[in-house]
Amino acid sequence: MRNLPPERAKWMRLRMGILCGILAIGLGGFVSSAYRVQVEDGPAWRETALNQRNRRLHVEPKRGSVYDRNGASLAISVEVPSVTVDVVELLRGVEKPDLQAELIRDASVRLAAALKLDANEVQAKLTSKRRFIWLKRRIPGDEAAQIRVLGDPKAQAPGQKAIKGLSIDGEGKRYYPGRELLGPVLGFVAPDGEGKDGLELSMNEELRGHLEEMHGIRDRAGRMIFSEGATDEQALAGHDVHLAIDEGIQHVVERELDIAQRTYETKGAMLVVMDPMTGEVLSLASTPGYNPNDYGDSEVEARRDRVISDRFEPGSVMKVFTFSAALAAGSLKPTEQIYCEKGTYKLANVTIHDTHVSEWLAPTQILAKSSNIGTLKIALNLGEPGLYSAFRRFGFGEATGLPLPGEAQGVLRPKGRPWFEVETANASFGQGISVTTMQLAVAMSAIANGGKLMEPILVRKITDARGNVVREWPPHVRREAVPAHVAKMMSEMLTAVVEEGGTGVEAAMNGYRVAGKTATAQKADPATGKYSEDKYTASFVGFVPAEKPRLVVAVVLDEPMIGRYGGDLAGPLFRRVAESSLRYLGVPPSNAQPHIGQVSRTNDPADLALATLKPKKLADPPTENTMMGPPPPNTVRVPDASGLAARDAVRAVGSVGLVPEIEGTGKLVRQNPQPGSPVPKGSSVRLVFEPAS
Amino acid sequence: MIREFGLGNRGVVRAREHFDWTLFLVSSMLAVVGVINLYSATSAARAALSDIYIQQIYWLVLGGIFATVVSAIDYRHYERLGYILYGFGIVSLVLVFILGKDIRGSSRWINIGSFSFQPSEFTKIFLIIALAKYLHDDPKSEGRTLSDLIVPAIIAAVPTLLVLKQPDLGTALIHGLIFTTICLLTRIKWRSFLSLVVSTAVAFPLAWTYGMKDYQKKRITTFLNPEENLLGSGWHAHHARVAIGAGGVTGQGFMKGTQNQFHFLPDQHSDFPFAVYAEDWGFLGGFFLVCLYAFLVLWAIRVASSAKDRFGAVLAIGCGALIFWHAIFNLGMVTGLLPVVGVTLPLFSAGGSSVLTIMMAIGLLMNVSMRRNAPAGVLG
Repeated sequence: MRNLPPERAKWMRLRMGILCGILAIGLGGFVSSAYRVQVEDGPAWRETALNQRNRRLHVEPKRGSVYDRNGASLAISVEVPSVTVDVVELLRGVEKPDLQAELIRDASVRLAAALKLDANEVQAKLTSKRRFIWLKRRIPGDEAAQIRVLGDPKAQAPGQKAIKGLSIDGEGKRYYPGRELLGPVLGFVAPDGEGKDGLELSMNEELRGHLEEMHGIRDRAGRMIFSEGATDEQALAGHDVHLAIDEGIQHVVERELDIAQRTYETKGAMLVVMDPMTGEVLSLASTPGYNPNDYGDSEVEARRDRVISDRFEPGSVMKVFTFSAALAAGSLKPTEQIYCEKGTYKLANVTIHDTHVSEWLAPTQILAKSSNIGTLKIALNLGEPGLYSAFRRFGFGEATGLPLPGEAQGVLRPKGRPWFEVETANASFGQGISVTTMQLAVAMSAIANGGKLMEPILVRKITDARGNVVREWPPHVRREAVPAHVAKMMSEMLTAVVEEGGTGVEAAMNGYRVAGKTATAQKADPATGKYSEDKYTASFVGFVPAEKPRLVVAVVLDEPMIGRYGGDLAGPLFRRVAESSLRYLGVPPSNAQPHIGQVSRTNDPADLALATLKPKKLADPPTENTMMGPPPPNTVRVPDASGLAARDAVRAVGSVGLVPEIEGTGKLVRQNPQPGSPVPKGSSVRLVFEPAS
Repeated sequence: MIREFGLGNRGVVRAREHFDWTLFLVSSMLAVVGVINLYSATSAARAALSDIYIQQIYWLVLGGIFATVVSAIDYRHYERLGYILYGFGIVSLVLVFILGKDIRGSSRWINIGSFSFQPSEFTKIFLIIALAKYLHDDPKSEGRTLSDLIVPAIIAAVPTLLVLKQPDLGTALIHGLIFTTICLLTRIKWRSFLSLVVSTAVAFPLAWTYGMKDYQKKRITTFLNPEENLLGSGWHAHHARVAIGAGGVTGQGFMKGTQNQFHFLPDQHSDFPFAVYAEDWGFLGGFFLVCLYAFLVLWAIRVASSAKDRFGAVLAIGCGALIFWHAIFNLGMVTGLLPVVGVTLPLFSAGGSSVLTIMMAIGLLMNVSMRRNAPAGVLG
C-alpha cells in the first residue's frame, strides 16, 4: 500500500489512528480499572479476602470442663454432629432460576426425609438468601450417616445426584453428669455456645476457649485449614475450671436439703459448707434446684443461686457478731450479769419480747437462751457506730465476691443514715437488716478460724487443656474481723448453745463438739410492712469440731410450713450434714462429753417423718462390720457398695472415711480396691457406674 | 503442485527471509506465561483439574502445528476458498443444534469421538476470511454507503445470530465486534457511519427486551451493581475482584495467591485465569501482560498496513481485532469493567477450541506478515 495515492494514504493513516485509538481506550480503561482495584482499593480487597478466609465458621473450640476438688467432672462438653449446607455450593453450576428452584425443591425433600424435618421448612431455610445454613443441630448418628450418603456422589441411586455443599460438623453439647447436682451454681450453656447462668456465665471467657487463637484459614467450602502450629486443638480449647466444691459433700447436702424441703415444706432452703481455715466452699446448695441438662424445662426461679442472691433478715444469728463486737471493744465482759427484764422491755415506743423469760443472765446464757433484751442492752452499751462497723468488718453489707452472677450485698443501714436507737437494738439481734446465707457462712468462719475474714473460694484454679495452671486462688484473708482471743471466747460461748438448756441442742452430735447459733426470724410481709405471724426464716449457723474447726455449715430454711424454730428445723439438718461430711473427710471424733439432745430428738415429728422418707439401706449405711474380722489399726475395710446408685454409694464409701472417685453414671458395677480389703483411712476408692441396661 | 501451495523455492526463501520473529516471540511468551499461570491456577484444585496445564501444552503444540500449516499456505488460497470455508463454518454452527451437548444450560459443543469442540470459536476465523474476501472483491475506492455494507453485514449476521441462539452472548459479541472493526477500516461515508451508530443504539434496547435470556440480562444488571447479588450471578465477578484486589501492587507471589489456593475463585482455569495471575503477580504483572496483548494488536495493525493487498490487510485487522476484543472483554469482566459474558483470555484460558482458534489467527497474521510487499516500518 506504499504506492497509494496521497489521498488514500491519508485515509489509511486516519483509519489506523482510529484503530489505535480504540486500542488505547480499551486497554487504558482496563489498566485504570485494574489500578483502581489493585492499587487504590487493594488493601480493602485484601481485607475482604482475609475475612473470607479467616472467618470462624462452624468450628468451636472445645469448651473447658468443670471439676470438683477431687477431679470429678461436673460439667463436660461432648461433640454432637450438626448439619450445615452451603447454598452457593449447592447451586453451583445451575444458573437458570427454574432449574435452581427445582434443585432446591428436590434437595429439601430428600434432606427433610433424612433429618425428619418438614420439607417446606427446609425449603424456606434454603431460600432464605443466606449462604451458610444450619439445617439441624445435634443430630443422632443414623441421621448423620444418611446425610453423608446424600452428599456422596458415589452412593447415589441412578438418576439421582448427590446434594452438594453439605457438611457435618461436631458441635459441643454441654453435659452435666451429676444432673441436678450443683445445678444453680454451674448454670447452663445456650446452643450458641455461650454460658448463660452460674459459673458457665461468669467463667464463660475462660471456659469458651481463646478466640484470638482461633484464626485459622478456611477455604470456600468452609473447611478450616490451620496454619502451622495452630492445629493443636488443645491450644484452642477452653480452660478447665477446678472448684473447691467436694462432690461427695455436695451429694450429702443436696440429699438432706431435699428431704428437709419435703419434710418441713419450706419455700426454699439454702446451705453452705465451708472450710473456715481456707475459705474454700465445699458445698453450696439451694432448693428448688434444676437439671441444667434440661434447663429449658426449669423455672427461672429454680435456677437462682439463692445462697448468694437471696437476702433475708437473719435474726438471732447476728447476736454472735454483736457479742464479738462488744467483747472486742471491751464494752462487755464475759463475766458480767445483764438484767433481762423478765422477757418484756420497752424501748422508745416499741416493746421487745424474749421467748424464754429470764432475769439476770451471763453473756453465755444470753446467747444460749437467745435473749433479745440482753443482746440489745449489750449493743446499746457498745453504741451504733461500733455495732455497724463490726458488722461491716464481718463482711455484711458487701459482696462476698464469689464468681457467680446475681450476688446480693445485703443491707445494713436501710436508708444510708446511722441507725436510731430502736434500729440499733433491732440490728443487734438481726432485725431490720438483710444478709445472705453466704455472708453468714463467711462471718461464722471468722469466728471459727480465730478472727480472720476469709475470701470465700469457689474456684480453686483454672488450668489450660494441657493441665498448666493459668490462675489460682490461694486462701486470702480479707481483713481481721475480730481479735483472735475474742474469736476464741466466742467459740466457747457458742458451744453452750448446743448444750443442755440452749436453743440448738438438736445440732449436737456424737463425738464432735459443735459451736453455733440458732435463729428464728419472723419475715416481714411486703404487703403490710409488718412482721408476719406465720412466716419465718429458721436457720442454724455453726462450726465443728469447736476446738479445731474443720467445717462451717450455714443452714437457712425459708418459710417452713411444719415447725418454725431454727433450733428444731435447721439444727438437725446441720447435724446430719456435718456428721456425714466429717466422716467423709475422715475427721477423727474427739473424746468430747456425751451429747445431750438425744432424748428430745426422738420426739421430733420432723425426724419421725424423716425416718419414713429415708430409704432403708441408707438408714444403716454398710460399713466395715459387714466384713470379716476387725481391720488393722488406722485402716478401714472398703464397704461393699455394689448395686447402689451413685449418691448412696458415695455416702457409703464416705461414711467410713474413704474418698470416692466416681466414674460414669447409673448403678455401681465395679469398685477398686475390692470390697472388704483393708485400706488406710482417707485413701480413695474408685467407683465405676454404668447405666442400668 | 508444489507451487500451487506456495511452497516453491521462491516461497520458502521468502518465508525464511520474512519470518516474523517478533510475532513469534510475543505469542510464545504469552503461551508460556499462560501455561505457568494455569499451573498455579490448578495447583490447589482437586485431581480432576490438576493436569489441565498438561492438556494445555498438548493443545498449544497442536495449535503450533495448525499455525505453521496456516502460515505456510499462501493466504491467497484462502481468498479463493473464502466462501467455502465460511459455508463450512455455518454448517458446523447448525450442527450444534442437532448434535450439541448441553453444558450449563446452553449447547455450544459438538462431540467427535472423545473430543468435543466449539464451532463458534472457529467461525470467527472463517468470518474474518469471508469479510476479507468480500471487501477484496469489491474494489470500491470511494467512501461506502450503508447499502454497500448490507452484504458484509449479512455475512456477519448469520453466524452471530446462530451463536446468539445457542445461547452464547460473549462469542456473538466478538463476532459482531470483529465485523464492526473491519467496517471501520473500510472507507465509510461519515453519514453512513453515524446512522450505523444510531441504529445500534436503537437496537440494543430492543435486543434487551426481546432477544436476551433472563440469565443474560441478570449478568448485565449484576455487572451494574455487583455487590447486590453475591449469591447468584455476582458471585464470579465478586470473587474475581477480591482475588485481583488482594494481589495489590506487587502480588502475593507465584502459587501464593490465597483466594485461588483456597478455592475461592470459580472457573479459575477457563474464564478467570487473569484473576489468578493478578493475585499472584499484582498490578505490575497485570500491566506487563496487558503490554504483551497491546503489542500483539499493534503488531497486527502494522502487519495490516504493510500487507500487499486488501485481503491481507483485512485478514490482519480481523485477527488483531479477534485477539483484542477477546483480551479486552475477558480482562474487563474480571476487573469488573464489563459484564461477565464468558469470553476467554487468548492463550491464558484453558481449552482446546480457544487455543486452536487463537493459534490459527496468529498463523494468519504470520502468513500476511511473511508475504508483505515491503519491509517493516511503513505504517500508514
